[in-house]
Amino acid sequence: MLSAAGVWFGYVEEKPVLRGVTISVPRGGLVGILGPNGSGKTTLLRLLAGTRHPQRGVVTLDGAPLSGLSRGALARRMAVVPQETQLAFDYTVAEVAMMGRYAHLGPFEIEGPSDIAVVDETLASTGTLHLKDRPFATLSGGEKQRVVIATALAQVFRVSSSLRLKAEATPPDPTGATHPDPCSFRLQPEDAAGYLLLDEPTASLDLGYQLEVAALLKRLHEERGVAIVISTHDLALAGSLCERVLLIRDGEVVAEGTADEALTPANVRKVYGVDVDIVRHASGRRVLVPTGRSEPGSA
Amino acid sequence: MATYKKALVPFLAAALLCLVAATRAVSTFPNSEIPKSPPSRIISLVPAVTEMLYAIGAGPRVVAVSSYDTYPPEVKKLPTVGALLDPNVERILSLKPDLVVVYGSQDDLKQQLSKAGVGIFDYRHAGLPDVTATIRALGDRTGDAARARDLASAIERGLDAIRARVKDRPRPRTLLVFGRERLSLRGIYASGGIGFLDDMLAVAGGTNVFADMKLQAVQASTEQILASRPEVILETRAANSAFPAGERQAELSVWKALASVPAVRNGRLHFLFDDRIVIPGPRIVEGTTAMARALHPEVFQ
Amino acid sequence: MSLQRRFVRTVLGFGALTFVTLLLAPLVGPTPIDIRRVFDFSIPFADNTDAQIFFIARLPRTLAGATVGALFAAAGVVFQGLLRNALATPFTLGVSTGAALGAVLAISFNWSIAVLGISAVPVAAFAGSLAAVAIVYALAQARHRGLSTTVLLLAGVTMNAFFSAMILFVQYFASFADVYRTLRWLMGDLDISSYQPLVASVPAIAIAFAVFAWLARPLNLLSLGPESADSRGLDVTRAQRAAFLSASLATGAAVTIGGPIGFIGIIIPHLVRLLVGPDHRLVLPAAALFGAAFLVACDVVARTIFAPVELPVGIITAMIGGPFFLWLLIRRR
Repeated sequence: MLSAAGVWFGYVEEKPVLRGVTISVPRGGLVGILGPNGSGKTTLLRLLAGTRHPQRGVVTLDGAPLSGLSRGALARRMAVVPQETQLAFDYTVAEVAMMGRYAHLGPFEIEGPSDIAVVDETLASTGTLHLKDRPFATLSGGEKQRVVIATALAQVFRVSSSLRLKAEATPPDPTGATHPDPCSFRLQPEDAAGYLLLDEPTASLDLGYQLEVAALLKRLHEERGVAIVISTHDLALAGSLCERVLLIRDGEVVAEGTADEALTPANVRKVYGVDVDIVRHASGRRVLVPTGRSEPGSA
Repeated sequence: MATYKKALVPFLAAALLCLVAATRAVSTFPNSEIPKSPPSRIISLVPAVTEMLYAIGAGPRVVAVSSYDTYPPEVKKLPTVGALLDPNVERILSLKPDLVVVYGSQDDLKQQLSKAGVGIFDYRHAGLPDVTATIRALGDRTGDAARARDLASAIERGLDAIRARVKDRPRPRTLLVFGRERLSLRGIYASGGIGFLDDMLAVAGGTNVFADMKLQAVQASTEQILASRPEVILETRAANSAFPAGERQAELSVWKALASVPAVRNGRLHFLFDDRIVIPGPRIVEGTTAMARALHPEVFQ
Repeated sequence: MSLQRRFVRTVLGFGALTFVTLLLAPLVGPTPIDIRRVFDFSIPFADNTDAQIFFIARLPRTLAGATVGALFAAAGVVFQGLLRNALATPFTLGVSTGAALGAVLAISFNWSIAVLGISAVPVAAFAGSLAAVAIVYALAQARHRGLSTTVLLLAGVTMNAFFSAMILFVQYFASFADVYRTLRWLMGDLDISSYQPLVASVPAIAIAFAVFAWLARPLNLLSLGPESADSRGLDVTRAQRAAFLSASLATGAAVTIGGPIGFIGIIIPHLVRLLVGPDHRLVLPAAALFGAAFLVACDVVARTIFAPVELPVGIITAMIGGPFFLWLLIRRR
């Protein structure tokens, strides 16, 4: 369980961006943080990731305050996927994904066969293994995002001893022509404790790539039990993807609950200042249709 | 890619323009047009020429000198107007000179002065014969031709006398150093095979080890010094750059690293901190004598 | 291919190149020397000009070239990784201009101190580089919690300009000969004529390279951007501090030994990345080895091409580096 309890934070202390936010993400949960631009979504994500520490309140992972965990220990449990990734140098896809293994290696340790196996597996599970030797910079936006998700997966992937032995016994074919069967690397239950925190994972993508990434996240969540937290202002994405959503405005929680519970016309008006109708699509999904603009904050 | 290539065109054009402008700047100034009347207010930016002016009797008409001038002592009372790199045109003009002695490379200054109608005497450092040639030309320009000719001839006779005294002596291979880092053998500057220092060395009865390098200043590498095996090393500087007495021994012993050099082995290292050597003016005979004394002590007791 | 094998292949490949260059370079020079006589120890050293040329002139010079080349190339890699900009050089953040100011002061005021057998100019250059590092570091630290590379870059560029102005100011009052000597110092000179400068810089070099070895993987992560690197488990501020201080130390040591020899810190990292890819665990050792070989080779050219006259080695590296830089600009879309 990753949770924040009553956290306050401001980049300048007098101007808090978050004001007493409480959120909890269970193991294997899928939570969306929703809110307009400047509402504090990204900041909340940073606090959950431990890159910033709250000025009041506490963020805990399975009961332990993040500030007490080492950077490496934290990195092995959760990984952040930024909105966009631009590299300073021309790394290949495999090299980028391998950077996810940083926290698993000693200062001068070189990645071993098990790390290579993990990276191959996560690339395969995000459908990017065939891009392995391509320069990262030449990929499309959707492909890049999938590779970064693979990197994040590789980061929280804990190699159980049985898997380590297995991978070392059968090193992957150096030509890369065949890759290990993903099925043989199924996560063990104790390995399912990883958290992926994604900041606006689809904001800079075309519609097609948005759907692609959303589908990938859903699959990772369902098949592999990875806990996922996304921040987004995309109501449709959150509504269709997330088990629970948190609506925030001006650093305060407006509503929290399942998508059905939280995404009511009243709450949406409160947060976004937009009137919406809720329509059931033929697929059974709820669709929010904006109908007009109203004063934000009015009930 | 194509756009970058296009973007390069104006850059290259600009570079070309700079090149053209640079070559154009080498303009010609007639050195000394025949004066209608001798100048009455002279400014000298060149210490060597200042000495010449005083030596030919034009001293009383010198109204200002460069900031490097120290000789003769009278110049210390005169106003200074900058030097080679930083001539102060405004002050020069405000002193209303009718002749200014400038370095050949001071093109901007020359342009400004000729616009202001001020006479110019153009000077360049060159070889020893140019010293007396300059003295004669200067005399013609300032109206002291007779004294200038006498002085020039006296200098030539003085140099001939030195030549005669060392004529039958062996000519030691000499390294003439005029600059290096303190307490180290790095950044050594030595006289190459041209220029007044090289000429003086020849008159004084030495052979320049770098005679085949046709440069006034050679940065001598350790290897060049070891390979050229000088028999005498002369270190010369202006008097105000002299090593303090307490450091001379330490400065001498830095050479001990080059033990295979005959000059080091035989202790033939000399410091000559002497303006008469480094300023190619009328005291050049005394300077050359000082050099000859270091090279041939047995002749100059 | 696994990283271990690529590492071994890279180090062996570039190591062989460097080794051969170091072996051949002392044999080449404007003066022909008899190599048998050089190693004939029955002749007293003081009488053996060939041995003196080899051991006093060429060997220290070759070793200085190798050291300075390796330091500049590796420092270039680290600065480029730190600033996430492939056009950064060891001189971008003010270290070398600080060193130059120190050297100019020593030359113009004719200081005659000697520390550990090192004369005033290199000592002042090293002090100047340390002062520059301290100022730039303090500025980058003061404006930001942690270390801001943006402020670092701005502070570095500003200090470069400021130190250059100070140099001009000092030059203005210096004698013509001192101005000339300063100019010559700025072109670089590897003729150190004793082993003392190298011996004295061993601690600085050892510290710098030890930190570089640790930095290789953090620099890979920094390429992702500070926030991503942080969430991958890297202490970004610590890595940036280590990178800035160690690369500055390396640059300071290199400038102290050989003067601010340009372009090594940008040519070599680029060539090496083209050959071994961007992984800093390969780029750093390859750049250090290749940089050593490259500068030694440039110095051989400098001392033989117009023999008996020698060119400053900085002119050779600039002649190669200028066109290379342009090519790089055109090539980068």
